[in-house]
Amino acid sequence: MNAGALAARGRFRHPVSAYDQRSAMLLLAPMLLVLLAVAVFPVVYSFWVSLFDLKLTRPLRVPFVGLDNYAHVLRDAMFWASVARTAAFTVMSVAAIMLIALLMALLLNEQFRGRRFLSAVLLIPWAIPYVANALMWKWIYDSGYGALNGLLYQLDFIDKYMVWLGDTRKTLALIANAFVWKEVPLATILLLVTMKSIPADLYGAAKVDGADVWRRFFHVTLPMLRPGFTLVMIYETMMAVRHFDLFFILTEGGPADASHVVAWEVYVETFRRLSFGTGSALAYIVALVTFLLAFSIIRTLGRKL
Amino acid sequence: MARIKFEDVGKRYPNGFVALASLSLEIRDKEFLVLLGPSGCGKTTTLNMIAGLEDVSEGRLYFDDVVMNAVPPHRRDVAMVFQSYALYPHKSVYDNIAFGLIMRKHPKEEIDTRVRDAARRLEIEPLLDRRPHQLSGGQRQRVALGRAMVRQPAAFLMDEPLSNLDAALRISTRAELKQLHQTMQTTFVYVTHDQAEALTLADRIVVMREGVVQQIGAPDEIYEQPRNMFVASFLGNPPINYLEGTLARDGDDMRFARGELSILLPPHVAQKVSAQQGREVVLGLRPEDVDERSSPREGEAVHGRVSSVLPVGSDQFLGLEAEGKLLFCRVSKELHHQQGENIALAVNTNRLHLFDKASGQTLLW
Amino acid sequence: MSASLHGIGRRALLFGASVLFLAYVLAPVAWMVSSSFQPETEITSVPPHWISHAPTLENFRAIFTTGEEAVTYETRRHGDPATGKFIPSTAKNLLPGMGNSLIVALTVVVLNLLVSVPAAYAMAKVRFVGRSASIYLMLTTRVIPDIALVVPFFLFIRKLGLLDHLGSLVITYLAITVPFSVFILLGYFESLPDELDKAARVDGCSRLQALLRVFLPIALPSLVAVTLFTFLTSWNEFLLALMFTQTPASQTMPIIVASFTSDFTISFSFINAAGVLAVVPPIILAVMFERYIVSGLTAGAVKG
Repeated sequence: MNAGALAARGRFRHPVSAYDQRSAMLLLAPMLLVLLAVAVFPVVYSFWVSLFDLKLTRPLRVPFVGLDNYAHVLRDAMFWASVARTAAFTVMSVAAIMLIALLMALLLNEQFRGRRFLSAVLLIPWAIPYVANALMWKWIYDSGYGALNGLLYQLDFIDKYMVWLGDTRKTLALIANAFVWKEVPLATILLLVTMKSIPADLYGAAKVDGADVWRRFFHVTLPMLRPGFTLVMIYETMMAVRHFDLFFILTEGGPADASHVVAWEVYVETFRRLSFGTGSALAYIVALVTFLLAFSIIRTLGRKL
Repeated sequence: MARIKFEDVGKRYPNGFVALASLSLEIRDKEFLVLLGPSGCGKTTTLNMIAGLEDVSEGRLYFDDVVMNAVPPHRRDVAMVFQSYALYPHKSVYDNIAFGLIMRKHPKEEIDTRVRDAARRLEIEPLLDRRPHQLSGGQRQRVALGRAMVRQPAAFLMDEPLSNLDAALRISTRAELKQLHQTMQTTFVYVTHDQAEALTLADRIVVMREGVVQQIGAPDEIYEQPRNMFVASFLGNPPINYLEGTLARDGDDMRFARGELSILLPPHVAQKVSAQQGREVVLGLRPEDVDERSSPREGEAVHGRVSSVLPVGSDQFLGLEAEGKLLFCRVSKELHHQQGENIALAVNTNRLHLFDKASGQTLLW
Repeated sequence: MSASLHGIGRRALLFGASVLFLAYVLAPVAWMVSSSFQPETEITSVPPHWISHAPTLENFRAIFTTGEEAVTYETRRHGDPATGKFIPSTAKNLLPGMGNSLIVALTVVVLNLLVSVPAAYAMAKVRFVGRSASIYLMLTTRVIPDIALVVPFFLFIRKLGLLDHLGSLVITYLAITVPFSVFILLGYFESLPDELDKAARVDGCSRLQALLRVFLPIALPSLVAVTLFTFLTSWNEFLLALMFTQTPASQTMPIIVASFTSDFTISFSFINAAGVLAVVPPIILAVMFERYIVSGLTAGAVKG
């Protein structure tokens, strides 16, 4: 029974050709397979695991505990403390990133000799791996021979070398600094791209209306920038909330839990305490929150994400 | 070799929108068929269905008695020229033209001959090594034509290929297309919204509106004998003038009456509407169907006030306010009328159109 | 034109801003590079020597040759003057680690392109049942944090017996890079004119041929951007590699480098040299392809 015969009977009402449907399915099949692996599988499986008390220290006894793991996590003061630290870290980082990226994007938006050079150089922090980034800053923060100490000492801001990462009051801020340094390039590029799409006519009209530089910035640039700005802010927030690498390499959650954020807690629970059940529940909670956050934003912003 | 037949073909979208309603049409071999209508009328959809770029929801499409509904575009023997030309930006002009032949695995020498031949005919030989972005609009259009020509397909499909050209180029290219059709002796299916283009090029015109075919026929037939008000107003520039009124009996004659205006209908018309006095009708008067030289007799005169005088090179248009309506009439330049003048023009009653007011359908044929 | 000032004031402002910009971006890296050329004795000076007074290549030599020297008590005691006897015990794994990273990254790039490009084309240009569902699926998988993948992937990989195998990394990296690639490619393909696709098909291309012969050549900036992102993500990835690799046979570069910091016999100059080696490939790649990144990220306009 071919499409023609079906069409003649008026039953084949769908305006999608069979050939196109087949082609699309074939072209899409690999991606669907991969996405099933990364979306459906982890979500379902980790939820399943979180319902059991699975500890790799005693792998043979795995009792079903239902939602107990979740209750345990949500009652744990450590968990909430880590949430607070994550929040502090995120707020600090995102604020700094957005500010610096905005300034840099404004600079790169201008036409001047050497701009291409700056654009190329900008990519360096983005390109290097977090491990190298961590090494670099660990060396700079070093209490014995670090550059930070050296610089401040030479400029007479301090009279002897201080401990930096080991100081619980400074730890989060220092890690945030390393994080910000690496994230700024991408944020800058995304903001720059948005800036470039602001129609030149708007500036022309503003100038004719008598607006000076500051006015033009506040009344043309900033408002037009808002959707892109929001997007980047959301993206960076999500990156900050789930960041792990720097915490592992620089401080391992210390000193005295000063940098013990949620991502670290998941790692410790799963791979140090080897409690996969609770680790799973923890990861699931974090993932769920991030996911819901992102999903609701995708919905409201449409497909611009 | 290339008869294209639509049998009750329709296209409907899941949300209910009907792009094309029950089209039945037979395109003859070697014919130059024009699909004419405003945007959204379904003409491009129809063309795309012939190409296989859009699927047929209902009905059957035949190429020479073979059902083509399920055949994808790359297996059909048609060539297409797009409104935006759609040249491959990364390929040279030569490669652009040769591409279709390469995909269909023609031998290399044959490809070379055909490409150079077409390039010569279209006078773009010196451009063969250039890239599309280095060409002007007119040149790109020729490359697009060349790409279609070399394929020597069973049917040429063209989707408003001239609309991006400037006015002068458009007219000269029109003539060339007509000539091309003669030399290639192939079926041409051409989509446009420009009625002048349709009238110049077509062997037959299909006038469409909102997915429904309004009339099919030779250009002359469509122009002279439009089947409804839409067709009558779509063809002709400036468009036909419409006056609403009623039919009135006058002894053995029938008249069109609107206020003070009373037009005597010629016998062949009166015959068709003899027993219908009081019927609400619309009178159609084309701007060129006024005769200003003779002094108008009663029953063929339109009285009115000149509201505008628009010279257009060889003639002039008069805007005439008559019986509350603004009519446009084409008169010769020798007439000198002033704005505000009250004049009377004679209408050629043999060339009047009469439509039923409610349905818009012609009452004459 | 943009909101700009004019004249000398503008030049001065731009110059000053550029200097600050460069300082912020380059200073930390420059310091790392400078440190890597300093012998251990100099690197521990207080205050530090910003530029080395006695630059040496010993640190780099040590990286390339540590594999050959047997680390015994004797050699460690006498040590290498440049590195001050403090070579991390895992040092000899650095180059193999980089080799592993390279293998994984290249494999992931190739597989990623094979998976993402057809899918993006289909979603952009073909009308089919399930198109919007696919797009939503792709968008939502982009936001799944790495943390959520930790437990399920670990257990799954362990069950498959692939722990400590490069294949486990390839699979997982593929899973995390594909959503992003598809997203970028989809945006770019959508911006390419539909009529090109139609012309190609009427000219005799099947869907696949239209993709390969017409769209791919035009989509080059986007492809480069995606390749770059995928390569860098794979090269730099840490958490999952930490989970799945346990021996130097399969450990990738970030893991080896991270192990240096936890080794308490640290040689600062050596670590900096290792850091420099680790960042050189990504930096070269990024700088080389800088102009593709922006144009590949945003939908380009192609006139045909």
